[in-house]
Amino acid sequence: MKNLLEIQNAHVYIGSFYILQGISLVVPKGEVTLLLGRNGSGKTTTMKSILGIYPPKEGKIVFKGEEISNLPTHKIVNKGMGYVPDTRRIFGTLTVEQNLVVSMRKGSSREDMQKRLDLIFDLFPDMKGFLKQRAGTLSGGQQQMLAVARALMNENDLLLIDEPTEGLSPLLAKNLIDSLDRLKEFATILLVEQNFRTVSKLGDNYYIFDNGKIVHEGTNMSELIDDKALVAQYLGVSI
Amino acid sequence: MTMQTKRFSPRDYLEENPQVRKLLRITVVIALIIIGGLLVLAAIDVYTWNGFVVRASKSLVNGLALSMLLFLMVSGFFLIFGLCDVINFAHGAFFMLGGFMGFVIYLGTEAVFLDPALPFYLIFGANQFALSVTAFIVSALGAAAVLALIGGGIEFFTIRRLYGNPIAQILLTVGFMFVITQIVEIIWGPSQFSYFIISNSQITYFFISGLLDFGGGLQFAVYRIFLIFLGLAVAGLMFIGFRKTRIGLLVQAGIEDSEMVEALGTDIRKLFTIVFMLGAGLAGLSGAVLVPWIGANSGHGLTYLIFAFVIVVVGGAHYGRLEGTFFGALIVGLSIQFTSYFIPFLENIIVFIIMAIILIVRPGGLTGHE
Repeated sequence: MKNLLEIQNAHVYIGSFYILQGISLVVPKGEVTLLLGRNGSGKTTTMKSILGIYPPKEGKIVFKGEEISNLPTHKIVNKGMGYVPDTRRIFGTLTVEQNLVVSMRKGSSREDMQKRLDLIFDLFPDMKGFLKQRAGTLSGGQQQMLAVARALMNENDLLLIDEPTEGLSPLLAKNLIDSLDRLKEFATILLVEQNFRTVSKLGDNYYIFDNGKIVHEGTNMSELIDDKALVAQYLGVSI
Repeated sequence: MTMQTKRFSPRDYLEENPQVRKLLRITVVIALIIIGGLLVLAAIDVYTWNGFVVRASKSLVNGLALSMLLFLMVSGFFLIFGLCDVINFAHGAFFMLGGFMGFVIYLGTEAVFLDPALPFYLIFGANQFALSVTAFIVSALGAAAVLALIGGGIEFFTIRRLYGNPIAQILLTVGFMFVITQIVEIIWGPSQFSYFIISNSQITYFFISGLLDFGGGLQFAVYRIFLIFLGLAVAGLMFIGFRKTRIGLLVQAGIEDSEMVEALGTDIRKLFTIVFMLGAGLAGLSGAVLVPWIGANSGHGLTYLIFAFVIVVVGGAHYGRLEGTFFGALIVGLSIQFTSYFIPFLENIIVFIIMAIILIVRPGGLTGHE
């Protein structure tokens, strides 16, 4: 099985709004797939429809060869997905450690937890220092580390990461991207990012969204960066 | 071009002038101490020193007992509201029904234990203390279990279909409040009738029907002191459960962001049903332990529902803090009992006066945001 995830002609509505208008994409196993595009182009909705939060009215979503389009969110996630939402959505009243505990799936043992923590501390050594701190008091960068760490508390095949560098300073964003680069060893990644230059070194292939449709796809990030017309038209950056 | 006129705002002025704010705070504290002192002096003048001590002690014991009972009831209301975002108008009716369940289960258990044809008679026939204790435990847990099942059933079959539709939820739970109250009134009659265990028991004995007498009129019902400890024990268990168990942490996380909890792999619907059962079970438990003191009465549903609202608002529990229900219940329970002993004409309205003051001074309640 080459493709870990496939979306086939998905049409997604949020209330009466027609958001995703027939998108199809594949996420090959072991690679990083980028979803690019302006604000409101449908990237986050794509993530949420994979997760079953906004299931498609038409079309199919297939994960590890199995259709998941109409399953409830928790069942989809438990098939091996980790989710890092935009705006982080950490649980501010809990400590960092408690955030990690609630992220572990039912039936995980203490040894599993230690193993996952070792991986997290390896990626984010600073986290050891604020494990007992209330998550609501963390800085933006620390919150983002926690949001990623939560998705790593289980052995997941696919990580859905939405706008990880949003609101971070350039240095923090670079450190985070370096950590995500190391994550490639452990899981396939579907990454939403507006600031495509920051993540260009990560991406193996990419899709560009505009008004709920996929308008361009490719596998060569450096070609994309050089295609000034395309970048200006769809990624909202004029050079 | 329009001219912008800046309106004078006392809040902004105080923010900009911390020294004035500090001075104002000190003045308010001193004024409150003086007013409190004057009230105490006036009470001593009216009731004499001895009368004051007796009334104050009784207010304190009864107030703490009532507070703990209210906390048990409201913590269930809070859990359902916090996690499921459902304002359960039927919660007072759950509490009231819990009272009747406690009453019926107590007397039923007692009748079984006193039946010479059954083996229980050998254990309890001659030991009224053991009988009374066991029947009480069975009645409290039984009422909690019955109400947990009713609450879970209501969530599973009706409310589950209405998440995200608050108006429909309110109408539905108000409907359940009326239905439950009506059923209770058909069986046990209207709110003029209160049902007490001791007057209906075959053995006219309840395990803590005694009085603690310290002389000089200082008498306390043992059951009310027992209620204080029971409430504290359950509160302690809840706080520990909330912070130390996985399910407690999940509930806390869900109160903040239930969609995210589900996106991390938890079946949030199942958690909602569990919390609904827990909340309704707490209402049943608190209703059952109220019976030996205040009795079972079909009018309790509405009265205690209103207390639940006041406690949540006063404590600031609507900002997701369980502690808020505890402090809110303490304020409501103590203020009702103190006014009933010292300023009886205010007894029925004191909680609303306190709520109004807190809403004006601290709109987020005691533990919520300002």
